[in-house]
Amino acid sequence: MRNNPLTKAHTTERAARRFGVRMTGPTLAVLLVMTAYPLLFTLFYSFTDYNLLKNLQKPASFIALGNYTRLLKDAYFRQAILNTVKFTILAVIFEMLIGFLTALLVNSLARGQKVMRTLLLLPYLLPTVTVALSWRMMLSPNYGIVNQVLETLGLPVFNWFSDMRTAFGMLLLIDIWQSAPFVFLLLYAALQSVPLSQYEAARIDGANAVKSLFYITIPNIKNSLALCALLRTIDSFRLFDKVNLLTGGGPANTTSTITQYLYSYGIKSLDFGFGSAGAIVMTVLVLLLSSLYIKRAMG
Amino acid sequence: MKKLSAFLLALTLSLTACGGGSGGDPGSAAPAKLTLILRAGAYADVIKACLPTFEVENHVNCEVQELSESDLYSGIALDAINSAGTYDLCMVDGSWMAEFTDSGVLANLTELGYALDGDVIPATTAICYVDGQLYLAPYYGNVTVLMYNKANVEAAGYTPDKIQSLDDLLAICENARASDKKGFLFRGDNPNNLVVDFLPILLSFGGWVIDEANRPTVNTPEFKSAMEFYLKLIATGEAQVKDDLIASVDTGAGTMGIGWPGWYTPTADSSADYIALSGAASAGAQAYNSNVYGIWTIGIPNNSQNKDLAVKLLAYLMDPDVQKGTVPSGGVPCRYSSLRDPEVLSAYPQYEVVCQALESGKYRPVIAEWTQFYTILGTEMDNIINGVKTVDQGLSDAQTNLEQLMS
Repeated sequence: MRNNPLTKAHTTERAARRFGVRMTGPTLAVLLVMTAYPLLFTLFYSFTDYNLLKNLQKPASFIALGNYTRLLKDAYFRQAILNTVKFTILAVIFEMLIGFLTALLVNSLARGQKVMRTLLLLPYLLPTVTVALSWRMMLSPNYGIVNQVLETLGLPVFNWFSDMRTAFGMLLLIDIWQSAPFVFLLLYAALQSVPLSQYEAARIDGANAVKSLFYITIPNIKNSLALCALLRTIDSFRLFDKVNLLTGGGPANTTSTITQYLYSYGIKSLDFGFGSAGAIVMTVLVLLLSSLYIKRAMG
Repeated sequence: MKKLSAFLLALTLSLTACGGGSGGDPGSAAPAKLTLILRAGAYADVIKACLPTFEVENHVNCEVQELSESDLYSGIALDAINSAGTYDLCMVDGSWMAEFTDSGVLANLTELGYALDGDVIPATTAICYVDGQLYLAPYYGNVTVLMYNKANVEAAGYTPDKIQSLDDLLAICENARASDKKGFLFRGDNPNNLVVDFLPILLSFGGWVIDEANRPTVNTPEFKSAMEFYLKLIATGEAQVKDDLIASVDTGAGTMGIGWPGWYTPTADSSADYIALSGAASAGAQAYNSNVYGIWTIGIPNNSQNKDLAVKLLAYLMDPDVQKGTVPSGGVPCRYSSLRDPEVLSAYPQYEVVCQALESGKYRPVIAEWTQFYTILGTEMDNIINGVKTVDQGLSDAQTNLEQLMS
C-alpha cells in the first residue's frame, strides 16, 4: 500500500500544493492587511457619514449612496474630474514623447551616456515638495528669475500661479519637467536590450532611420512603452502635492484635481465618509483609464 | 544559578530605573516627558525659548512638534480618538474651538485648577470659556493689521495717522498703481487665506459671515458692497503667497496688504510698518470693529497622560513675567502688563497698535463647520475675483451652499 505509485503521486502533489501555499501565504497576508483591508474599510465608510471628531460623540450612521449623490451633484467635483483627466492626458503624452526622444538621443550617443543619464535623472530624484518650492521661487512675481528675464527681454510677465491663463500650464510644465526623466530611464533601459543585429540587418536591407524606429525600435520596446504610460497615468491621476503647494486648486478651480478636491472638502474637515466615497470614485476612474494599458501589458 | 539571579536582579533594576520617571519628581532618576504640538513659526519659537527653564525646574523633558496650521488641526484631531493621547499641550486656533469642545477634545482647565488672571485682555478670552468653564488660554496675540510700505504711503501724500478709512487705502493703492507699483496685495493661494484677508474689509462695511443664530449672511447688501469695494482694491495689486506679500511690501514693489504681527517686526529703520484698520469704509462713515483675531491659544488635550504637569507648564507659559520675556524673540502676549510696559513700548512701539487691535478684535465664527464654511465661501470668492461669476451670482451660490451646510 505504502508503495502504491498513485498514492505516492497524490502525496507529492499535496506536498507541492502545501509548499505553494506556504510560499504565497506571506504575500497574500501582506496584501490582505495592506491593500484589501483598507480598500474594504474605505468602501464601507463611503456609505456612512463618518466624521472623525463628531464620531467621538455620536457614532457614524449608514447613509447608503448619500455621499456619492452629493459628490456627483457637486459642480466643483465634476470640474475636478475634468481637470484631472485633462492634466493626465496632456502630462502622459508630453512625458512619453520627451522621455522617448531623450532616451533615443542618449542611446545613440557614442560617448558620455553615463553623464547624460545621471544629469537627466536629477529632476526625478528631487522630492516633490522641493521641486514645487523651487519653481515657486523661480516663478515668483516678486523676485522670481523667470519674470526678471522676461522683463529684461521686454516680454510680458505673469503672476504664474494666480493667473487663470497660466496656472494650469505651469503645473503641467513642472510635472513634465520632473517626470519625463522617469520615462527616459525606463525606455533607455528597454532600448539597451534591443538586439543590434536587427539594426544591422535592416541597414543591409536599405532601411532608413525612420523605418528602423517604427519597425525595429518601437515593436521591441512596446511593452515598456505600455508600462511607462500605465505608471505615468496612475501617477498623474493622483496629482496632489504640487497643486496643494502651488495653487491650492485655484485660481477659480482651474487647477483643482480630484485629490485636491477630496482634501479640501473631505480630509481637511475630517469628513472621512465623504472623502472615502471620493476615493472610491477615483479608484474606479483610474482603473477604467488604465485598463487598456493593463490589458496591453498583460498580453 | 547565582549568575542567573544576579542577571535577573540587574535587569529588574535597570528596567525600574528606565520606567520610573513618570511623576516628574526632581528626586527620581529619569525625567518625565511632555509632548507639545504647536503651530510652526514664531508661535512655536517663543514657547521653545521658554522651555529650558521649566525643564530644569521640574525635572522634565519637553518634546515639541511644530506643524503647519492644517497639519496641527489634523494632528490634534487624529490623536483625540485614542484613549491614551500622545500630546500634553496643544496650540489651538480660535476657529477650531467649537468643534474641539463639542467633541470633548480639550480638557476642562477650570476643573484642573487653572484660571486666567485679570491682566489678560478680556476680549481675547471670549472663546476660551464654554458654560463658564475655561478650556483654552490666549497665548499669542495674532490680530489682523494693515501692513504697508512707508515710502509708497508717503508718496501718495499720506501719513499713517491720516489713513482714516478704506477709501484712503484705495487712494494710496491707486496712486502706487499709477507709479507702476503694485497697490493692494492679498493671499489668493487657498480659500482660507482668501476669506481671512477679506474679513477686515467686510467688517468695515458692517457685514459678517453669520448672524447670531449662526445662519449664513453672505448674500446681504453689506457683503455685496464690501465685495465690490474689495474688487476695486485688489485690482490695484495682485494675489501673492505670504512670503511674496511680505517681501513686496518690504521692498516697496507692493504697497499694502492685510497681515499679522507675527509676520514682520517693524523697527524705526524698516521700510514697512503696520497699523490697525480704522473700521470705517469712508470718511465720516460709522467705524466698526474690524480687527480679526488669529490668536493662538494653548490648551491640554483631554486624553493627555500628564495633565497635572501639563497644567503646570501651561501656567508657567502664561505667567506675566515669562510672557514679557518672549517679546524680544517675537512673542505677542495678550497681556496688558506686556503690551503697555514702557520698556517694551520704547523698544517695540508697534505693540501699542497691537494692544489696541487686541482690545477690540473679533474672533472668526466659533462654529463646528468653520473649515467647510470657509472652503465654500473662499471658492465662490475666488470665482468672483477671477471673473468666472458676477458678485451677485457668486454670493447667491455661496449663500445657498452655506445654508445647506448649516442646516
